[in-house]
Amino acid sequence: MSDFLAVHDLSFSWPGRTVLEDLNFEVGPNQLVSVLGVNGAGKTTLLKCINRILSPSSGSIHLLSSDVLGMTIMDVARQVAYVPQSVGTNFPMNVFDVVLLGRRPHLQWFVGDGDRDKVSECLHFLDINDFAFRRYDQLSGGERQRVVLAKALAQEPKLYLLDEPTSDLDLKHQITTMEKIRSVVGDRTAPSSAIIAIHDIDVAARFSDKIMLLHDGKIRAYGPPKEVLTVELIAEVFGVEAEVREDSGSLRITIQHALKNE
Amino acid sequence: MTSLSLQHQERGHSQLVKIGLMCVLTALVSLVALGQGSSSQLDVFTTARIVLGLDDATSVQSAIIWELRLPRVLMAIVGGVGLATAGALMQGCLGNPLVSPLTLGVASGAALGAALAIVVGFSITSIGAFAIAGNAFVFSLFVVFIIIQLGRYRSISAESYILVGIAITFIAGAVVSTLQFFATDAQLSQLAHWSFGSLSRPDMAVVLAVGICIVALLPQAMMWSWDLNALAMGGDDFAISTGVNPMRIRRNILVLSALMTSLIIAFTGMIGFVGLAAPHMSRLIIGNDYRKLLPASAVCGAFLMVFADTIGRTLFAPIVIPVGIMLAVIGGPVFMYLLLQSKGFNDE
Repeated sequence: MSDFLAVHDLSFSWPGRTVLEDLNFEVGPNQLVSVLGVNGAGKTTLLKCINRILSPSSGSIHLLSSDVLGMTIMDVARQVAYVPQSVGTNFPMNVFDVVLLGRRPHLQWFVGDGDRDKVSECLHFLDINDFAFRRYDQLSGGERQRVVLAKALAQEPKLYLLDEPTSDLDLKHQITTMEKIRSVVGDRTAPSSAIIAIHDIDVAARFSDKIMLLHDGKIRAYGPPKEVLTVELIAEVFGVEAEVREDSGSLRITIQHALKNE
Repeated sequence: MTSLSLQHQERGHSQLVKIGLMCVLTALVSLVALGQGSSSQLDVFTTARIVLGLDDATSVQSAIIWELRLPRVLMAIVGGVGLATAGALMQGCLGNPLVSPLTLGVASGAALGAALAIVVGFSITSIGAFAIAGNAFVFSLFVVFIIIQLGRYRSISAESYILVGIAITFIAGAVVSTLQFFATDAQLSQLAHWSFGSLSRPDMAVVLAVGICIVALLPQAMMWSWDLNALAMGGDDFAISTGVNPMRIRRNILVLSALMTSLIIAFTGMIGFVGLAAPHMSRLIIGNDYRKLLPASAVCGAFLMVFADTIGRTLFAPIVIPVGIMLAVIGGPVFMYLLLQSKGFNDE
């Protein structure tokens, strides 16, 4: 079986600084991959390269065997949805219209009933239907984050690229939102996968099929949570002492304290 | 359809009704404008009947309406539509509410062209009647050319366009000042008069030509409304993830709006305020969805221009105050009041 997403020798540099160096990895269908790493490790850069917001200096990206780097921006948007860390604006629209922008890659100019219904479904799914016609700029940070996630869902992509999608959410919504992302990705009738840049190592361990540890622009480890999230690797990459245990089948990670610099 | 979908559809319809009402209001003001003037005053109904050919107007009345006032009112409508659309397009694609059609330096290019024609007698277009307007147009096209060249740079950002526009404004302003320094009193007065922004210059042929060009460009602007929504709502990264190529679309939109601006400014002189105020007033009424905002801005621009020009013609008749001045004097305070009253567009 050909891989869902295949990334080969991907590198990216700003003038004078290499951010990503020769990344090689594959993501299968219906997989949720969490990318972990310290600030500046290259998590956001990796997502932006796959979405073509940044142009990689070398390497190749194939989604369902098509060359992503050779596609038009519109073709990429039909298959890949990206949720940035935050979206600020000078010209706010209402929530429904923001989510409707997710239908943009699929419609010509006029909005059909099907597009409206899809938006409506996504709003209900993420529990933001109560403020469907409130202005985006009058929402809290967490509400905005769910609106932009709903826009990505309305896009019906094959691949979700989510940059810290739960960073502004309260504790309950962090869990329910991750569960919902998990259920969307787990839907075998419409296979999709997600790559999520995230800081919360415990949430990543609970919900991910695979974990990618980025360290200094390289993949330090990539695999199932139990293989990657070991006490030694966490100490090496994050500089913290952690306790790792298994609790009824799922991995639980508690950070104890920061390690002193050697 | 779900109830949310229905609600969304209904809101769309009510926005269209609002735009329709704005059209009716603009048509009414235009009729008043056609009836009012220093030489004769007609009420709205008589004017309407004359315009529709239902009334046997005296030859003087109909000559005044058809030959004197109609070109002026039409130019006000065309200018308002063009400048307001250009303003809305530019604000959206640059993601900046402070932008107006004058920001990119197109008008400064036009002013330089006009100053060269008036002071030095240098004009690229040698046709006598169009020496000034033609030169203004050619020099503003030169600024459009600079914008196209800027668009070739991969890393050009929205802010860079604005900064280059400001630089062009300074450079052209310096040359115009130098020309003024050497100009005679008569030339100075002619140049000052050009820069006021007036609707009295263009004759019917010019109005029709400019009008046809502007109307021909409007559908293209509408085609970009989704791209504008993505750009204005979330900036470049958000736009790319929505399938919009921000670099290319921004350059195309700026070239189109600069063209619209030059077409109008070359014949009317400096009219800037309507391009800033009409889009913002429309945002307060319609919201920020460009599919509705562009037509609303166009109608609002036409209304403001016709209204301001009519006041300018009648307030101290027979003295006519140029529309550029009237727009700023009446529109400015109204605009400030509206912005301070509301905390943005009313979406309930």
